[in-house]
This record gives sequence, structure tokens and C-alpha cells, in this order.
Amino acid sequence: MKKNRSLPSMQRTITRINKLDAVELFILKRRLAVATIFILALTSIIILRLWFLQVYKGYEFEEKAKVNRVRELRIVAPRGNILDRQGRLLITNRPSFNVVWTREDAPDPDQVIKRLAKILNEDISSILDRIRAGEGTPKYVPLLLKEDISWRALAYIENNHLNLPGVRIEVVPAREYLFGNLSSHLVGYLGEINKNELQRSRQGEYEGGDRVGKQGLEKLFEKQLRGEMGMSMLEVNARGFEKKQLAQKQPLPGNDIKLTIDADLQITAEKALEGLAGAVIATEVNTGRILVLASSPPLQLNEFVGGISQKAWQAMLGDPLHPLLNKSIQGQYPPASTYKMVTALAGLGEGIITPDTAFNCSGSIRLGKRNFRCWKKTGHGTVNLKRALAESCDVYFYLLSQDLHVDTIASYAKSLGLGQKTSINLEHEKGGLIPTADWKLKKYQERWQPGENLTIAIGQGFNLATPLQINVMTGAIANGGITYRPQFIEEIIDPDSKTIQMFEPIRNGEFKGSEENLELIRQGLIAAVNGPNGTGEQARLEEIIVAGKTGTAQVVHLSHVEDIDSEEKIPYKMRDHAWFTCYAPADKPEIAVTVLVEHGRHGGSTAAPIAHQILTKYFKPIED
Amino acid sequence: MFRFDRRLLLNFDWGLLATVLLIAAMGLANLYSATYSPGAGASPYFMKQLTYYLMGAGLILIIISIDYRVLLTLNYPIYAITILLLCIALFFGDSIANTQRWIDLGFFRLQPSELAKLALVINLASYYYRKDTGKGFTLRELGAPILLTALPFILILKQPDLGTALMLAAVFISMTLFVRLKLRTIIVMASSIFSLIPIGWFYILKPYQKKRIFTLFNPELDPHGSGYHIIQSKIAVGSGLLSGKGFLQGTQVHLNFLPERHTDFAFSVWAEEWGFVGSIFFLACYIFLILLALKIAGSARDKFGVLLCFGIISLLFWQAFINLGMLLGLLPVVGMPLPFFSYGGSSLITTLIGLGILFNISMRRHMTFNS
Repeated sequence: MKKNRSLPSMQRTITRINKLDAVELFILKRRLAVATIFILALTSIIILRLWFLQVYKGYEFEEKAKVNRVRELRIVAPRGNILDRQGRLLITNRPSFNVVWTREDAPDPDQVIKRLAKILNEDISSILDRIRAGEGTPKYVPLLLKEDISWRALAYIENNHLNLPGVRIEVVPAREYLFGNLSSHLVGYLGEINKNELQRSRQGEYEGGDRVGKQGLEKLFEKQLRGEMGMSMLEVNARGFEKKQLAQKQPLPGNDIKLTIDADLQITAEKALEGLAGAVIATEVNTGRILVLASSPPLQLNEFVGGISQKAWQAMLGDPLHPLLNKSIQGQYPPASTYKMVTALAGLGEGIITPDTAFNCSGSIRLGKRNFRCWKKTGHGTVNLKRALAESCDVYFYLLSQDLHVDTIASYAKSLGLGQKTSINLEHEKGGLIPTADWKLKKYQERWQPGENLTIAIGQGFNLATPLQINVMTGAIANGGITYRPQFIEEIIDPDSKTIQMFEPIRNGEFKGSEENLELIRQGLIAAVNGPNGTGEQARLEEIIVAGKTGTAQVVHLSHVEDIDSEEKIPYKMRDHAWFTCYAPADKPEIAVTVLVEHGRHGGSTAAPIAHQILTKYFKPIED
Repeated sequence: MFRFDRRLLLNFDWGLLATVLLIAAMGLANLYSATYSPGAGASPYFMKQLTYYLMGAGLILIIISIDYRVLLTLNYPIYAITILLLCIALFFGDSIANTQRWIDLGFFRLQPSELAKLALVINLASYYYRKDTGKGFTLRELGAPILLTALPFILILKQPDLGTALMLAAVFISMTLFVRLKLRTIIVMASSIFSLIPIGWFYILKPYQKKRIFTLFNPELDPHGSGYHIIQSKIAVGSGLLSGKGFLQGTQVHLNFLPERHTDFAFSVWAEEWGFVGSIFFLACYIFLILLALKIAGSARDKFGVLLCFGIISLLFWQAFINLGMLLGLLPVVGMPLPFFSYGGSSLITTLIGLGILFNISMRRHMTFNS
């Protein structure tokens, strides 16, 4: 310090602080040595303790781990029930007894396998296959040897408990379908959880081997239906026998789901469709509640209960009637004559026709080089709107469509819910197709041809719709133009019988035209069922007035089949699809029914009688 | 301050990095086993923790590019944000199992009490750096740091999260003793702490926390209640023997009765599956990490660096010591994560930020002051 006396005072201060800092830094760092010693001392306590537990006392703890182990077992919660709108149980649970085996607990595995094979009446090799499938998993993980064993086998295993170390019976709820395959596409099925689903779930929520919803309601409402796992803490001895129960947490059953489906109507629909490929839908026109949602052929639900076999799955995949497809929402068909309601509404709305405008139908018209035929070869003569709808005259709509732009027709169709998904809460719904000029340009790089209007006018050509869309449209025409979202949940009820979710109607949209024009269409539909030459007379009821429209959708071009003299000789795949869509009562609409039968030929003769059965059941429920 | 000197790269502590990577690998492998369920492969916990590691690595890169002395000006803003987050968690946070510890950010559930540990280290280091005269602190001079500690301490105790609150106290005591106190200060503080113990016992500790202290001394008092954790953890660790049961083979772990095996009790899984040898290997690596950190403290260019290092070391050490002591049955069960091993984003990222600061100090050890 003395040396620096000559420096200016400012500099001197800085130097002094730096020096002081340096000294303090040194002192501080010296204290790090003390800290190091302190840390090492405490660490050695940990090391000593580890040595004490793992080496010195290790065998004692190992013995404890083996002899007196506490095991946590999960108790699968019963899945929620599924009921129909009247509270009738459709799907519930029954106990299924599974044989599981913990390899670690079995000192002599060969003996156990031999005994089990005898009890279960199975080949030793098939049991060994199951064990081999579990190879690589740690030995403490129980392996599932057989699912859903008989009462006899169960009693035998329980009695011979002491000779079967490591073998345990696990009781898990399995689905029981009280009405067989009723509403199979809607409710869907369960299957073993896969790797993806396991990884997406929360830790501890699921385990490998758990069954989860794979399709339909079971999948979409998995969270509601599943309930909460229970748990049982058991003290287990060295041979895996449960000594006593220490604590238990009861499982919480899943929530019940009450559907808007009416089991009686659904049964009627599915019976009527037996042996056919097709769909039936019935909804309440003023709410969108679905009373019937049937697709035929149904899924074989019981095949899925213990895990579906490869054979059964292949059979469903290869079936020419496509049972895996839910035709009511996934089947897209030309709407055919049911689409004439749209064309008529567009013509009325744009002022091209009035109810009294008359066209002459001679059986066909010529446009350019092509001849467009009416279904009635002899022609309808002079037809106005009401007759055109009632008798489904094609020529009337050909002529009308020439003054309409394709986009105008499309805008009316879309305001009735066509060309877009109905947003029903089910997976893989299809949206159908309503073509526009732009759409065609984009898709085919071709301009819209005026001749194409004619095919569009009668619902052929590019037009596609699902049966559910046609039903929504029918409902809108009946109720004054509101398209309701089709829904199938009436209530979700928790295990304490408390309602946690209630049905509420949801409006998807509204028709763009006037109520008077809708009324004109309704008059046409009433005449179609009740008039002298109406195409839908087979849907007629005695006391209640039904309003409906038939449709016959061409599957192949007429030229392919016109040489065949008898309808019976047309190959199945080339036959027309049959449509019928209707509502009733005509003066105060309640229910809309839509029927589609694939390759059913004529709407009036194949589809309308099915609608008739549904309506009869709906209006006279007490009959049988 | 933001200029990047090429010398910085030359001074990068590769040994520290290698040690951290080794410990991280052990922690991840252990988490894989602890959350393994047959047939499912890597659990979502494992994948998330891996993501947190990558996020933490990114943060380290950012931290080492800025001179740590910037913390001397940022200490109060950091403190204010931490207190704010603690208040949000306490009053508006997600309630899990009757505790208010988390703020849900949508993609991440932030636990601000973890960040508070590091914020306290930074603030105490700044304060002591500014005020230390080398003569030892009087009680009056300790008023500010006590307040700095008490505020987050009380907020965290209210959540309630006794483990983390105790951690703050441990950091405060370690760092304060490190900067040197007057003898009188030590005596006054020690006696006041001892007189506070009965108050704490009767008014602060929740019944379940008292029970855990009782059961420490006699776990068999309540084998299926609060003694359960300790008994099961000891059986798991003890039955690992010398060489362990092997990866994924720990029966105690996978038979579902070792509780919280992916968080606080993660090391029990390690000890069961890798035995005494594996446990010692982990401890050796961990202590080597701390020794490297002490070496960085010893070569830091200024007192702030030394204090900051020391604070981070005390965090790393106390968390591990209390966690291990707890699951080996030496200390009562409190919520205390083991750095790198316990699952949890907030805790892991806090640890990695701390490591970033260590790298930072080490890289700048040869630099001279330019202010």
C-alpha cells in the first residue's frame, strides 16, 4: 500500500478495493474446502446406510420381499349399461372368469400346465402357446391363459387351489348383449387395448390386456362408460397365495347411457332388413332424436366379446353385403327421385314454375344427340307439380332443370342439409356429394354441360347422399325448414342415478326458401302416398296420413341392362337401389322414416313397405 | 457483456458435461423402468421427461452465451416474477390432491416453487456479494436476506409443500454460514430456531406431516398408512442386494406397491434393480458432479461467481441428501425430488438452468473485469 501513495486518490481506492476483493475471494474459496469435507461426510452416511440395507441386512429384506409381499390388484369396474329411450336394458355386463398365471409363483411349472390342460379340457400345446406369447415379459407379470371359462372349470380350479400355485381366477366384467346384434353399428364393440392407445392414456389408467371401446358408442363414450378401477391390497405369501386383504377401494361403475333409440322400432327395422343390405332411419322431425338407426347386415357383436377370431373377422370383411359398413351414415348412394323435392323447391324459389305450370310428358325428351327417358315409357301426359311429385315424372324435372343453374340447385340442396355431414356423433360419417360447376372444373378440368342438369334434376349423375342426410332433409321439409342434428343420446346417468347430460336439440341450419313452397312439396308427398297413381302407396296407413317420396337409384347405365328382358335376370350388383323417405302424420309431423335397400330395385315396392312397418309400429305400439 | 469470446469455448467444462450426460442417462433409464407397463413400451412419462431434457439443453445453450454477472442486475425482477407465480399458483392454481402447487399453461404444468429455489440462490448470492465486507454479518444485516427467504418460504408452506419450503431454508442456512457470521449472530439464530421448533410443531405442521415424523422412528406403527412408504421403500432397496435384480426386473417396483415410484421414490427403483453396486455407482457420479462444481467455485473469477456456485451446489446436494435419506428410512417422508431421477418438468428444468449457470461461471473464470 505504501508504494501506491504517489498515485491519484481515485485510482488508489480502486486498487484497494480490488486487493480487498482478492483477499476476500481467497478466504471465501478456502471455505469451500470445509464445505467439501462436510458434503463427503454426509455422503458417507448415505453409503453406510445403503451398505447396511443392501448388503448387511439385504437377505432379510429379500426374504421380506418374497415372503410378505403386499400386492396391489386392480378390480375392473363394470362398464356402464346402455338403455333404450324407454329405459329398457339393451347392453349390460356379466362376470367372465379368466385364468391367469404368475410364473414367478410357480416352482414347478410343468406340473401346473399339465393339470390346467386337463381341467380346461385343452391341449397342452395351446396353453404353451399362450405362455410363449408372454415370453420376454418379466416373470411377475400374470399371464392370461384362458378367458371366460365354464362354471365347472371354475369350481374345479377353486377347489384344487393348493395344487395350482401361481394360478388365479380373475373375475372381469364382459359385455352381455340382451337383444343380440340390435343397433350393432351404433353401439360398436370392445377390443384389447393396443400399444398406441396405451401410450396415449394416463399412467395407471389402463394396462396391457384391458378391453376398451373400439367402435361406435363404446369407443366415443369410453370415458363415460368405463368407470374407475378399484384396487385391492393383498398380502401374498411366497407361493403367490393370497393371505389376507389389507385394504380395498371399490371400483366405481361407469355411467349408463340412455339412447334415444326405441328398441321396438329398431327390432322392427332390423327384422325387415334381414337378408338385405340397406339402412333404416327414423327420427323425430322436431328434435332430431334418432328412434331407429339400422344398417344391415348387422355386426356379430358376440364374436367380439372374448376377442374376435381371425376367421370371424375375415368372414365379415369378405361378406358381399358388407356388414362392417354402417350404411346409414357411410353408405353414399344417388338420392334418385327423392332429390326431385330439391329440384322442385329450386324451381319454385327461382320463379321458374308455379304450382300450376304444366309440362307434357311423352315418355322421353331429346336434348342434343341424347334421348332422356321417363321411367314410365308411355309417358304421363300433362303434369303439374303435384302430379310430378306424386307419380315421380322424370320429364317434368328434365324440362324444369333446363332453366336452372347447377349451382342454384346445389344451394337449395345444401340448405336442406345435403352435401355436408350431419355431424352425428359417430366416426367416419360421409358427407355425400352435391356437384357445382366449380367442383367439376376442379375435379375433372371440364366445364359443366347443360345436359348434366337433367341427370342432376332427378338425383342421378354425380349426386350422392347418405340415408341419414335424406332423413334430415325429409325432417326439414316436414317441420318447416329446420335441419336438426341427428342425435342418439337421451341421457347420461351416473351410478347414483343422477343425470349428468341431457338431450337438447341442436339446429344445423335452415332452408333458404319459403314456407309456402315447402307446403307445395308436402302436398305432392301426400299425393305420392295417398293419391290415385302415387308411387308410394304401399306406405299408406289407415288412420294417419303419411307423406313420402320414392326413389330408384340407377347403379349402372341403363344401356347395360336394357337388353335383359326380365328384371329377375339382372345380376344382383347391377340392380337399382330402392329409396323411400316419408314423414307422418302429414298434418302434424312427428316422425321421419327413411329406408334404403341396396339393389332393391323399386322404392315403391321394396322400401315403402318397410317404412310402412315402422310407422305402423310407431303409431300402434301396444298392438303386440 | 453479450460478445462471445472464442476463449469461452476453450474453457468449456467438458468433464462436467460428460458427468451430467451419464447421470441423465441413468435417470432416464430408471424412469423407463419405473413407468414400464408390459406391452406398452416407453411410457408417456419417459417421453415427456426426454422432452424436458431437450428443452433444458436449449436453455443451457442460451444461458452460457450471456455473462452470469447480468444476474446482478436481474436479481430483483427474477425475484418479483417468482413471487408473483407463487401467488398465482396458491390462489388460482390447479389443485391436485389438496395442494395448490401448479399453474396450468396448457402444454405444461408449471410448479413455480421449483423455480423459487434457484431464484433464492441468485438473490442471496447478489445480496451477499454486495454487502459482504469480510468482517462477518451482524443480525441486523441479515434482516434483508431473512425476508427474501421468508416470503417464498411462507407461500410454499401454504401450498402446502413442506419439502420445498425446507429446501429454501436449507439453501438460506448454507449460504449464510458460508459468507461468515459473527459468533453472536450464530448463537442468536440457533437459539431462535430451537425456540421456533415447538411453535412449528403445534401450529404449522399438518397432522399427516407429524405422522410421518413419528413413523420415521417406528414405521411399523402404521404399516399400511404413512409407514407404508418407508417400509416398502426399504424392502425395495434392501432386496436389491449387492448386484440388483436387473433392469425392469424389480418385483417390488412392478408389482405396483412402491408408491410414487416415478417421482420421489425413483431411486428405490434404481437401488432394487441395480443393487448396492449400482447405487454406489450413481452416488459416485453424483458426488463427482458436485466436486466438479466445487472446483468451478474454487476457480471463479469473482465472489459473485463463488456464491452463485455454492448456492447451486447446496441445491444439488441437499435435494439428493434429503431424498436419499428419506427413502432409506433416515429422514421423514417429505416431498423432495432427486435431481435427474425424479419425473417432473419444473424440477428438471430448474436443475438444468442451475447447471447452465455452473458452465457459465466456469467458462468465464479467466476473464478480467472490464467494469
